[in-house]
Amino acid sequence: MTAVLKPTLARCLWVAPAFAALAILITVAARSIFGMTPVLQESTLLTVAYIAGGIGFIVGIGGFDYWFTWMRGGELDPNDHSQHGAHSWGDYFKFNTDHKVIGIQYIVFTFIMFLVGGMFAEVFRSELANPGQQVLTDQQYSGLISQHGVIMIFVFMVPVFAGIGNYVIPLMIGAADMAFPRLNAVSFWLLPVAAFTLLSSFMFGSFDGGWTGYPTLSEQSGYGMTLYQLGVQLAGASSIATAVNFLVTIIAMRAPGMTLFRMPLLVWANLATSALVVAATPFIAGAQFMAMFDREMGTHFFTIAGNGDTFVYQHIFWFYSHPAVYIMILPGFGIISEVIATHARKPVFGYRAVAFSSAGIAILGFAVWAHHMFASGMEPWLRVPIMLSTLLIAIPTGIKIFSWLGTMWGGVLRMTTANLFAIGFIFTFVIGGLSGVMLAVVPFDVSITNSYFIVAHFHYVLFGGSIMTIYAGFYHWFPKVTGRMYNEVLGRWHFWITFVAMNVTFFPMHYQGLVGMPRRVADYAPEFAWSNMVISLAAFILGASTLIFVYNMIHSARHGKRAGANPWGGLTLEWLLSSPPPIFNFPATPRVIGGPYRYGEEGAKHAIVPEVEPATVETTV
Amino acid sequence: MLRVVRKRGYDAERGQFDSDLRARSKGVSEVKTIKVLPLALLGTAVGLVISLVLIFTRTLPVQASAEAAGIDNLYIFFLGFSGIIFGIVMLFLVVAVYRFRAHPNDEREGDNVHGITWLEVVWTVIPFVIVVLCAIGGLMVLRSGDVEAQARTSGQQIHVLGYQFGWKYSYLNQDIDLKDQQTLVLPVNEPVIFELESSDVIHSFWVPAWRMQMNATPGQVNETSTTPTKIGTFEIVCAYLCGVGHTNMNSALPGSIIPKVQVVSKSDFDAWVSKQKAEAAKVAESSSEEMTTGSAG
Repeated sequence: MTAVLKPTLARCLWVAPAFAALAILITVAARSIFGMTPVLQESTLLTVAYIAGGIGFIVGIGGFDYWFTWMRGGELDPNDHSQHGAHSWGDYFKFNTDHKVIGIQYIVFTFIMFLVGGMFAEVFRSELANPGQQVLTDQQYSGLISQHGVIMIFVFMVPVFAGIGNYVIPLMIGAADMAFPRLNAVSFWLLPVAAFTLLSSFMFGSFDGGWTGYPTLSEQSGYGMTLYQLGVQLAGASSIATAVNFLVTIIAMRAPGMTLFRMPLLVWANLATSALVVAATPFIAGAQFMAMFDREMGTHFFTIAGNGDTFVYQHIFWFYSHPAVYIMILPGFGIISEVIATHARKPVFGYRAVAFSSAGIAILGFAVWAHHMFASGMEPWLRVPIMLSTLLIAIPTGIKIFSWLGTMWGGVLRMTTANLFAIGFIFTFVIGGLSGVMLAVVPFDVSITNSYFIVAHFHYVLFGGSIMTIYAGFYHWFPKVTGRMYNEVLGRWHFWITFVAMNVTFFPMHYQGLVGMPRRVADYAPEFAWSNMVISLAAFILGASTLIFVYNMIHSARHGKRAGANPWGGLTLEWLLSSPPPIFNFPATPRVIGGPYRYGEEGAKHAIVPEVEPATVETTV
Repeated sequence: MLRVVRKRGYDAERGQFDSDLRARSKGVSEVKTIKVLPLALLGTAVGLVISLVLIFTRTLPVQASAEAAGIDNLYIFFLGFSGIIFGIVMLFLVVAVYRFRAHPNDEREGDNVHGITWLEVVWTVIPFVIVVLCAIGGLMVLRSGDVEAQARTSGQQIHVLGYQFGWKYSYLNQDIDLKDQQTLVLPVNEPVIFELESSDVIHSFWVPAWRMQMNATPGQVNETSTTPTKIGTFEIVCAYLCGVGHTNMNSALPGSIIPKVQVVSKSDFDAWVSKQKAEAAKVAESSSEEMTTGSAG
């Protein structure tokens, strides 16, 4: 009985529906009082139910318990750590303020969403394997590709980096936790709400306007489109809250001695990313609010009938969604710097240039959004400056690639799976980067935009870029998180199958696009038949390779060899702690005495963690 | 000989550059010295081969407009430098993995090199030069298109209305309104300006053979232009997701209701125009007759 009153998932099961029911009651009452017909307008009631139910879920899981208790003057113990740290398996399903628990919650949840999004891709690849339409209707096809994009971007790629950062960054900078642990937990628990909102739209025919959801097509869609708009807002809110948390944590909570230029490059990357998120994400939230108001409240921001402007949506949408691309790759760059330096036993080549190029990408990233709109009919003069700024962004990106090569050069490369993914990433990301430079040039872009060439390009930078870095990060910190080693043989199989299948899947798409195959189509001209069959087969293998990874992670977490504190011989702070780290991280405040990548220096240290007698631990926490 | 060893070490402990550090880690770097410049030249050669393979195996639709050649040349230029950059990066990557990989139980550490400023300057400047060349190439092709559009004194002015799911064309300078889904016919070697609009959602008017694409957006008129240079029929593809009929809004699909664009000789075009006008006159006559009989009845 008490389980349904304590902050647990069981409490969510009644609080969320109760909130939804209450919202519906109030709305029905209001509608009948003001004489609005029909009183039981389905879309309105659903919308308020979803919003209130989402808030109810956060309340149910315990997101506001502490603040409520404080507000009603209840008794609070500032040293109450009952919600901190995982003591049993069940704690991962509860509201938890420990950044390490939240990090694992993020990573596991978003990875499940990655599998879901991947399954959608496998389904529509089976439709595309043969010309003609066999498996899906046009409506279902559009629904699946839209879900694939939205799930991958908003509930996998953006938050998984928040998850990795959550686990690693406080350790790396020598902090006890994130700056706002409760906000951190609320940020995480918003994600299942967002995912539920997006996925449940299948009950209402999904949303079928692509992941961009442009009006006026979005005005025609069924109720699923409103859920897309709500889901994106929820994921965006989660993302903004986390970014604020990272900014404060990184700026204010670094251990003594950790100057900006002694920060590991992942911390630099996260700093730049968080600044991007805080500045850019409100734009997409705004765009989705306006689009949702158009659908549900009869406003006319983007409707033609009400003298709205559909074109404005594109500008606002891309003003976020281009920086979003860097939100999805900058932390990956940071991971690659960590992985290559550690596994090559060599300092990052040109540390300052790599750090500043992250900042450079973050700043330039705001000036390139309209390159998604070269064929949209925007002001012709704007094409030229946007082309130039887009081309310029290749330079900081190139600096990073060359710096990683320079890091490997003269090192002692330990070919672990983590390092394999980092090296494979360089291969695939260079291809994606080069097609990106091509697409920046207006006349070429206009000749093939919205074709499969674009699909090839962004899968090379998002799968060949972000996902390769995510895997590299997973393998790199797996021993730290679980205290056990993963299976290298399975890791190698995973890498090689993923790497080959990924290239066979996405490379032929360049040719399809150049010859004239548009994207987001369920059927194609007969000339594309054999290439699509090859792509689909490779895509199935790519999907299957994920199972090796899942098996490796689950099996190794339970039965793997003990890892010890520092299996890779890393110098950064997280490796100075036990694996997994103690619940309160550092027994005493660590002191940073040098740069993070002093490999090859006799007896060099990045930081010192003072040994503390167990008795005094309590007071220093 | 170029050797990748540190000229100026970065002393992280003191947070400043220190030239003495080089001596301390000398022993390790001697063993691994590899000549970088010859390798870079070899990488360029490998890359050149990749470029040439890419360039000679390129698959593009037929060049059927005055703009197509310029855009294709841009693409060849892209393939050229992309192959070379890819070749260099991959050669260094492969050599690094081969040359510097650790043996089992290898406890050695890498060189304590934190950077070589001149090298970093080089690999910042070279990409800068390449993107400047890209920008110049892009601007030249863009400008030649714009100049042509501005110089247009004669030629066809076509209003294109996108709708779910098809196109409707009006010849503004000929006073011809085609019916929904009627074939667009154009004279060869005459500039065409398209004014695109949509009556419902965003569509995109893409003719791959002309290397031309422009969105048709509700509530605004988008302009684009081209000069067809080849007689024949070419595919028209709707490139922007516009709803359930989007897949079929592609003339390349078997059984599509979207007609391909027809480019014909000037004399054929004139004949087609007079036929359209005659038909339109006939339709107008019969409809006015209908109206008179209708009101009489």
